[in-house]
Amino acid sequence: MFKKLCEKAFPKSLWVYHCNVGDCNGCDIEVIDVLTPYYDAERFGIKLVASPRHADVLLVCGPVTRQVVPALKRLYDAVPDPKIVIAIGSCAVGGGIWFDSYNIVGGVDTILPVDYYIPGCPPRPEAILYGVAMALGLTEKQIESVHLKQLLDRPESVPMESEAR
Amino acid sequence: MNAQQLGDSVKQQFGDKVVELSALGPNQLCLTITPDSLVSVAEYLNKDLGCRFVINSGTDRRRQRGKFLITHFFAHDEEKIYITLHTEVGEDQPEVDSITPSVPAANWSERETRDMVGVVPVGHPDPRRLVVADDWPEDVFPLRWDVPHDLKPPPAEGVAMPLLDPPEGASVVPIGPYFPVLEEPEYFRVFVEGEEVVGADYRGFYNHRGIEKLGSSALTYNQVPFIAERICGICGFVHSCSYCQAVERAAGIEVPPRGEYIRTIMLELERIHSHLLWLGIAGHIIGFDTILMQVWRMREPLMWLCERISGNRKTYGMNLVGGVRRDIEPEIHDDVRRVLTDIERQWQELYNAIPGDTTLMARLQGTGILPTEVARARGAVGPTARGSGLPIDVRVDHPYAAYDRLDVKKRVYDGCDNLARTLVRLDETLDSINIIRQALREMPEGEIMAQIDEEIPAGQQAVGSVEAPRGEVFHWVLTGPENRPERWRVRAPTYANLQSVPPMLQGDALADVPIDIGSIDPCFACTDRMEVVDVSSGQVRVYTQDELLNKKY
Amino acid sequence: MITSKLREAILCLRPGRVTLKYPFEPHDPEGDFRGYPELDADKCIGCGGCATVCPARAIMIQDIDQNTRRIVRFLERCIYCGRCADVCPEDAITMTKRFELSTDQGREDMVAECEVFMATCQRCGQCYKPPSALDKIMEPGFRDDKLKRGGDDSPYEPI
Repeated sequence: MFKKLCEKAFPKSLWVYHCNVGDCNGCDIEVIDVLTPYYDAERFGIKLVASPRHADVLLVCGPVTRQVVPALKRLYDAVPDPKIVIAIGSCAVGGGIWFDSYNIVGGVDTILPVDYYIPGCPPRPEAILYGVAMALGLTEKQIESVHLKQLLDRPESVPMESEAR
Repeated sequence: MNAQQLGDSVKQQFGDKVVELSALGPNQLCLTITPDSLVSVAEYLNKDLGCRFVINSGTDRRRQRGKFLITHFFAHDEEKIYITLHTEVGEDQPEVDSITPSVPAANWSERETRDMVGVVPVGHPDPRRLVVADDWPEDVFPLRWDVPHDLKPPPAEGVAMPLLDPPEGASVVPIGPYFPVLEEPEYFRVFVEGEEVVGADYRGFYNHRGIEKLGSSALTYNQVPFIAERICGICGFVHSCSYCQAVERAAGIEVPPRGEYIRTIMLELERIHSHLLWLGIAGHIIGFDTILMQVWRMREPLMWLCERISGNRKTYGMNLVGGVRRDIEPEIHDDVRRVLTDIERQWQELYNAIPGDTTLMARLQGTGILPTEVARARGAVGPTARGSGLPIDVRVDHPYAAYDRLDVKKRVYDGCDNLARTLVRLDETLDSINIIRQALREMPEGEIMAQIDEEIPAGQQAVGSVEAPRGEVFHWVLTGPENRPERWRVRAPTYANLQSVPPMLQGDALADVPIDIGSIDPCFACTDRMEVVDVSSGQVRVYTQDELLNKKY
Repeated sequence: MITSKLREAILCLRPGRVTLKYPFEPHDPEGDFRGYPELDADKCIGCGGCATVCPARAIMIQDIDQNTRRIVRFLERCIYCGRCADVCPEDAITMTKRFELSTDQGREDMVAECEVFMATCQRCGQCYKPPSALDKIMEPGFRDDKLKRGGDDSPYEPI
C-alpha cells in the first residue's frame, strides 16, 4: 500500500537529504561519490538538497547514538509527507560493529520506520545506486533470509569418534 | 639525547617525586610520579623541554592495584621520544590536579577522563560534561571495569551539558545538529552582534560510539583492528595500523619486512585518496564545483585499485596484529603503476593551473593565517603545522613500517595561510606516488604475517603513532589478561588541529570561515570534541557562566 | 588567468564522458571483493571459529539439543571483513562478489541460519585450529547460553 503510494508520488525526481547519525564518514563519502561523474545519480533526477524540508527521501548513515536521537526525530518530522527513509550501511541497518555499545541505540529502524535497507560497510556506490533505483522501481530485490539444514542421515557429516579429543 | 637521558634530567629536577623511571627502548620514556608533583612535572616537560602535549588517559586499575591510573602523554619531536607520565590516585578520593591552567591543550581530554572514568580534575577552569549523552546519568562511568559495555541506563533528568548564554546585547544563531554545510552532526551556537561574530559555543560528541570501551571489554586483540578501522571511514587504515603497531611493540612482535612494505603502500594510497578527496571538498566549499567533480573523477580509479588490492574500497581490513592479511601480488604492480601515472599526469596539470587561477587565489591566499608560534603552542600536527612552517612529520620523526628505508621528504611551507596548507597537500600527493613506486620496487619477498604462538603478556604498554593524511594519529595500548587490551587510548589528528582554528578565524571575513575550518581537513567522526571559541580574541578558553555574564566583549 | 582557465577546461574535456551505465549494465568488482558471505551447510562442521573471530559479533552459536547446533548469522550488521572465511578450517564460508543487497522487507532478510548435525563434535574442542594464539576460543559472548554481562562480580544486573 505504502509502496504503491510512493511509486505514484515519486515518478520522476527524488530529492534526498543525507544525514549522519554517528557514522564513521565512510558511507557519507560514498553518498557524495554517487553524485560525481562516474556514477552521476542526477541521471535519475536524484538531487541532494540542503534542507530536510525540501526532501522526499531521508538517507540515514550510521548507528544511532544516544545523543543524536532527539535530533533525528525532529529531522524526520521536518521531512514533508509522503517520505521514504533509506538506511545506508551496516551501522544504519543493524547497528554495525558497535550494536551493543553503551552509547548506541541500534539500527535506524529502532527509531524511525525504514523503507529501504542498503547493507555494506561501506556499500559500494553501485550498491547505493541499486538501492535508490529500487525505490524508484527500476531494480529488483535480490536477497532473502537463508535457512539451511544438514540432513541427519548423511554419513559424512558425522565426525569420526577417534578424532575427538 | 635518548629516552634514558631525558628521564635522568627529569629525575635530577624532581628527585623522589619520580617514583619509577623506565625507558622502553630509546624512543619511549615511561615515568611514574607522585600525584602532588603532576602539575610541576607537566609544566617542566611542556614549557622547559618544549614537549608537545598529546593526550591524557584514565585507566581503572582498581582490580589490580586498587587505584586509578592517570596518564599524560607528551612528545619530544626533535629527539624522537614519546613520554608517558603515569600518576596513581586512590579509589577513595578519585581526584587529580588539573594541568589545564598551565597546559591549555589538556582541557578536553581531562574532562573526557572525568566523564569516562570518574577521576575529577581539581582546578579545571571548565568542569562541564563533555563526552556522554545529555541524558546519561551522572554516577555511571562507562570506562570503569565493573560497568558492562552494553549497559544502557535509563535517561536521567537535568544533567545535560549546560549551554552558554550569549553575552549581553548579542543574539544567538543556532547551527546544527543538522545543517547544510555540516557533514556530521555538530551543534554550534554562534553569538552575533549585527553581522559580527562575537563568540560561539559548540556541543560535539554526537558521534561518540564507545569505541575505547568495546576495545577493552568486548573484543579480542585481533578484532580491535577492525573497529579501529571504523573510527574514521576516510583514514581507517591509519588507525588500525597504529593500533597494531602499539600491540606489536608492547608484545615484542616483529612484523616481517614485506608486511611493513605493504602497510606503507596502503598508507600512501590512502593519503593520495584522502588528499584528492580534501581538494574536491575544498573546491566545493569555495564554490568551485568543477574541482569537486574533476578531482573526484581522478580519484575513482584509485578507489577501484584499492578494491582490487584489498577487497573493499575504503575499509581495507588488511591489518592484524603481526602483519597484514593480503599480499600485493606481482600482477597487480603494473596496474598500480598505471593508475598512479594517470593520477600524476592529471595532478600535474591541475598543479600548473592553480597558481594562475585568480578565483582560487583570491579565496586561498592570505586567508586563515596561522602563525608558526601559534601553531606550535596549539600543538598543531600534519599539513596544518607544515603549512605554518613547523617541520613535524611522524614518518620522519618517529619512523614506523618501512618509512626508515624510503625517501620521505617533509614538505614545509611558511606561508601560514590556506594556500600554504593546500600546497603542502598537493606536494605530498606527488611524494606519495613516488614513495609507492619506490616501495613496489624495493619490496622484499617473504612472509607477510608474523607467527604468533604465545599469548601476549599482560601489563605491557606501548605507543603507536602514524602520520595520517590529517596529522599524527596516536594510540596507546596497555595489554590485559583476557586476550584483549586492558586500556586502549586513541587520539585523532583533528583533536589537535581544531584548537588552531580560532586564531585562523581572527580578522577574516565571515565568508572565509568555512574554508578556514576546511583547511585543517577536519574529521569529527575521529575527534568529536567540544570547545568554546572566542573569535574576537582568538583564544580557546572556557568561560564559566558567571564569568560570561559579567564579561563584556 | 586565461591560460589557467584554458588548462582547467582541457583537464575537464580530455577524459570525455566517463559515466557508467550502472544499474542498466552490470559493473562488477575486480579482484577478491569481499561481498555477501555464503555458508555451505554441507561443509560446515560447527566448530564456531567464525563466531570467535567475528569483530561485529554477528555470528551466534546455539546448541539446540545434543545433536543439533544452530549457527545464526545476523548479516545485517556484518562488516564484510572476511575473517570468518579466513579461519574456517573446512572452507565452508566464501566471500562472494554479491553486493546488491538492498531490501525493502526489513532486516530479517539479512539473517542466515544453518543447522548443523553435531553427533560427538560437541566435546571436540580441536576441530578448529586457530591461525594464531590471539584467535583462540575464549570469548564466551558469542554463545547464547553463555551471554553474561560485565565481570562475574559485577554489581550490574542483567537486563
